[in-house]
Amino acid sequence: MTGRAIIERTLLGAFAVFMLAVPWLIPSLVNSFWVSLIAEILIWSLFAASVNLLYGYIGLLSFGQALYFGFGMYGVAIGIDQLGLGFWPAFGLGVVASTAMAFVTGIFAVRLTWHYFAIITVVFSLIFYFLAVTQKWLTGGDDGINFSLPPTFSFGGTQISFTSGTFQYFFILATVALCLWLMQCVTRSPLGKAFLAVRDNDVRASLIGLNIYGLRLTAFVMAGFLAGVAGALFAFFGRYASASYMFYNVSGEAVVWAIVGGAGTLFGPLVGTALFIVIRELVSTHWEHHSLIVGVMAILVVILAPRGIVGLWSSLLSRFIDRGDARAVSAAGKLRTDP
Amino acid sequence: MSEPVLRIDNLVKRFGGLTAVDHLNLSLPGGRLHAIIGPNGAGKTTFFNLVSGMLRPDAGRVFFLGRDITGLKPHEISRLGIKRTLQIKSVFPQMSVADNLWITAQAGSRFLHPFRPAARDRGTAERVERILEQIGLTSLASRAAGTLSYGDVALLEIGMALIAQPRLLLLDEPTCGMSPAETERAVEKIQQLARSIDIVIIEHDMEVVFEIADDITVMAQGSVLASGGPEEISADERVREAYLGRPEDEDYVEEAAHA
Repeated sequence: MTGRAIIERTLLGAFAVFMLAVPWLIPSLVNSFWVSLIAEILIWSLFAASVNLLYGYIGLLSFGQALYFGFGMYGVAIGIDQLGLGFWPAFGLGVVASTAMAFVTGIFAVRLTWHYFAIITVVFSLIFYFLAVTQKWLTGGDDGINFSLPPTFSFGGTQISFTSGTFQYFFILATVALCLWLMQCVTRSPLGKAFLAVRDNDVRASLIGLNIYGLRLTAFVMAGFLAGVAGALFAFFGRYASASYMFYNVSGEAVVWAIVGGAGTLFGPLVGTALFIVIRELVSTHWEHHSLIVGVMAILVVILAPRGIVGLWSSLLSRFIDRGDARAVSAAGKLRTDP
Repeated sequence: MSEPVLRIDNLVKRFGGLTAVDHLNLSLPGGRLHAIIGPNGAGKTTFFNLVSGMLRPDAGRVFFLGRDITGLKPHEISRLGIKRTLQIKSVFPQMSVADNLWITAQAGSRFLHPFRPAARDRGTAERVERILEQIGLTSLASRAAGTLSYGDVALLEIGMALIAQPRLLLLDEPTCGMSPAETERAVEKIQQLARSIDIVIIEHDMEVVFEIADDITVMAQGSVLASGGPEEISADERVREAYLGRPEDEDYVEEAAHA
């Protein structure tokens, strides 16, 4: 194992232990409010991961992912409040609705690239935002839909639901971890390599036989799925759904989180989201213009570290660790090849 | 097989008022290395774009081994076995050299597995290693392709053409911008390739063309001016005219012919 792999695995292990210890560790260090804040960060980082899958892996910059987040939210809220569904069917409804919506809008959107693609994703999300605001009978308009939480599991008389903060936290952690693991599998698979090829050079990709339209649509639907899961989780987390989460500034925030954290890396969106939400929490009680800090940081990162915080970290690692490894490898290589 | 590998039937492509390819007729039999030459603006690259599906013709048809491929999408044509390189070197800059080859080998398959790790595919990995050895880039396998030197990128492109196992290879100015040593290496590879694959090459370097081509087609103003073996072409008056302009004074032609 290389030095770099050891460092990365140690960090990942420490991070996993920390995340598992949050419900006991955090209340004793700060207070229990921070447990639910960390849960919220996890949900939003999954949302940022959906932007990252598109921008970082296939080269499409979407400013409209909030649409699919909103569909995930409303799927859950309408499922519970109007259709009387239980926890799991409502969860399924939210995810299916957002994934299907991504497929339908994707058919049109992925015909375009770059700014045209960005614009059409904004347009789609605005159309449905205004529909959600005006169709009060279905969405509750500006007030949104408040619903009472059904149990997640019931065994005979015992019920487990999100009313337990610890269960809520672990449910969100497990779901987000599962989604990120799936995303990691995809990016390392043949399909993921095809995504990268399309991102790098779409003309060449089509000449080697890749169906760039089909690949972009596949990535778009997968991103819609991730955003939908995030939206559905957020609905359960907040016990409500509201059109305001479908507005394009929500999409824009996810773009900033993903890019500052590091587009094209698995943990970039998580780092970016955590950073900005923690800053917002710490600063907003003292100073109302906390978004200025966000803006300045976003500009600095884009100029100084175009691959984001995680990209910066990984290039630092290769400067100081891989160099030593490379020396060792080339020495070993010489020993082997010399007769 | 008597069917030509590529048959072009009255192909027309217009850009606004300009007719880039003008009722082009060509029939390229298999088993030979064809070169297409012609002055700038003769429509050579447009012709490649029409064959590879990057442009749709305004009229006419393209047949590959007897099959009508007119109007198919680039990836569909590529999957039939026609691969091409671009005039400006074009690889996947942020992917490693090995991954460039890897995805090129896999791109033709109908199904790309979304969850199985790519690294587990030993068969493709071995093919990548073999090609890396053949083109001499084994030591650069994990480097990002965007950081390679110009000559190495050209070798990588040839490797990508090789690993795709094409039936017809379209090379657009493969030695453009290369140093003499790099050109020599590339020419050697192309000759090696031509033994197993049908190749059509667009080339400006006449030395290269006359060294490697079995047949030469000269294009001018979008259609075929002349075609034949290297000796025929070098003796053809019309070809000289197309390249050098109509002689106003015999000395000029003499001088140019000896240059």
